[in-house]
Amino acid sequence: MKILVAVKRVPDPNATIKVRPDGTGIVTDNLKYVVNPFCEIAIEEALRIKENHGGAEVVLVSVGEQVCQEQLRTGLAMGADRAILVLQDGDVEPVIVARALAKLVEQEQPDIVMLGKQAIDDDSNVVGQMLAEMLGWGQGTFASEVKLSEDKSSAVVTREVDGGLEDVEMPLPAIITADLRLNEPRYASLPGIMKARKKELKEIPLGDLGIDQSVQVKVHKLSPPPERQAGKKVETVQELVDLLHTEAKVI
Amino acid sequence: MDFTFSEDHAMFRDSVRGLLERECTPERVRTLWQPSDSPGSRVLWGKLAELGIFGMMAPENAGGLAMNEVDLVLPLIETGRAAFPGPVVECAAVAVPALRDLGDEALQELWLAGVASGDTILGFAHAANNLVADADVVDALLVGQGSELHLFPSDQLSLTHQPANDPGRRLFKVDVSSGSADTRIAGGQAASSLIADALDRGAFGTAAQLVGVAQQLVDIAVTYATQREQFGKPIGSFQAIKHALATVQVKIEFAKPLLYRAANSLATRADTRSADVSQAKAGAGEAATAAAKTSLQVHGAIGYTWECDLQIWMKRAWSLDLAWGSAAFHRGRVADAIIDGSSPARSFGFEAR
Repeated sequence: MKILVAVKRVPDPNATIKVRPDGTGIVTDNLKYVVNPFCEIAIEEALRIKENHGGAEVVLVSVGEQVCQEQLRTGLAMGADRAILVLQDGDVEPVIVARALAKLVEQEQPDIVMLGKQAIDDDSNVVGQMLAEMLGWGQGTFASEVKLSEDKSSAVVTREVDGGLEDVEMPLPAIITADLRLNEPRYASLPGIMKARKKELKEIPLGDLGIDQSVQVKVHKLSPPPERQAGKKVETVQELVDLLHTEAKVI
Repeated sequence: MDFTFSEDHAMFRDSVRGLLERECTPERVRTLWQPSDSPGSRVLWGKLAELGIFGMMAPENAGGLAMNEVDLVLPLIETGRAAFPGPVVECAAVAVPALRDLGDEALQELWLAGVASGDTILGFAHAANNLVADADVVDALLVGQGSELHLFPSDQLSLTHQPANDPGRRLFKVDVSSGSADTRIAGGQAASSLIADALDRGAFGTAAQLVGVAQQLVDIAVTYATQREQFGKPIGSFQAIKHALATVQVKIEFAKPLLYRAANSLATRADTRSADVSQAKAGAGEAATAAAKTSLQVHGAIGYTWECDLQIWMKRAWSLDLAWGSAAFHRGRVADAIIDGSSPARSFGFEAR
């Protein structure tokens, strides 16, 4: 069994993000980068499938600049077997990432492609879905639980949807995107970190994949969210209900 | 000298920090201020062991990683930053290398494999400490007695609990009068050398934790100073607050290279290692006690309350400052080394002339 896991390099979610004054991007000076937390959950799930289902090869893939090596090394230190870095300078829009992954799926022939449900930097939440469409595979998005059949020919994915949980069953190969409650990722152990240096990390220029790289989305401007306003104190429950009805218009 | 840590060192530090931020929260630390047999302490210890910290200095044939103090220093700082309860220094930095250096493979097989997995906790009682910290959680205690080194399994230990100001570091008087040929694992010059090394390593490990404690105290105070407002603006904008905190941060930054040099001296068994360790311990203690005092001042009255988490690190700073030799003791060792001429007088790059 082979599991391909997509890994994105994103700013540390605990860092304070500042938008450049001209709105062309964020201030990256001294900004710490980490593995996208949802991708980390996807790596952990792939490793658990490997450990609990009699072995599997876990292959990490990232699309981006050379520095994405750092995040792939983190995943290798967690226990993944090898990694592929598709090199491309600058921002790569989701549809190009999906095309690159589709091309690698052709080459690697995995049984499962695991992704985070979204990246915490652009919150696009589309790569998994687009990849499933391109490959014509089943998809279990927003997974909070993944169960494989005994013969590993199908998977039941519990999805977190509005108002509850939904179980979907799909034949493998399939696309699964990880939600927050799927698992709690492990931290890289010292032996894992030492082993990671010896694991294969292959680099492929994006141009070598022969995919359509035409840009379809252009970001014109970034702006910080409005500052949170102070709340309002009310004296009585009746006053609260009135305000919710007349001012907030939520009831 | 190049004090730059490798990418692997940084990655492991981040791993330890991430785990401790998630698992060793102030709420969790408070729940562990209970008698030692609470299962929670072993669970937390096991999680840290899974990362590989306790077997770092054990030999490979005993399940260890055959590493040294340079590899251990950053994770030890993180255990200080998290106020991790338990004898981390005594186990990982003192007892493990003592058994390694003793070279008795039977003893290593018996005790060190369990240490690496977190199933076994070792402690070390040294004459530099009147009382033994966390002796109630150890599975075996190494005891330096005169020119002999003994190993007492926990069922042969007689402990008397003593009051301590840091509830996360419980202190015990240990009765070792039952020491016999059965418990003796080294004697003569070999034991004296192991016991002397234990003092250096214990002081080094404690200095590392003190640096982490000091940084956490400053970070807590800075966070508070940016949130608490007075006269219409955050109190951190006033020079009386920010200059005091900056002074402490300078002390921490000065303590770090001393600590890293001590790690390197221990790892390379440099002749100056004892003096280097003492300089690091005195510097780290000074930084941490200054951080405790200043952080309390920044907080004002709320800093004195039981509910305020500041006490966790303040008490740890005070207790670790006295552990493995006070600042006065270590300054004395540095002075002796300079006067004897056994150690070049060095401080921040200046050579004595």
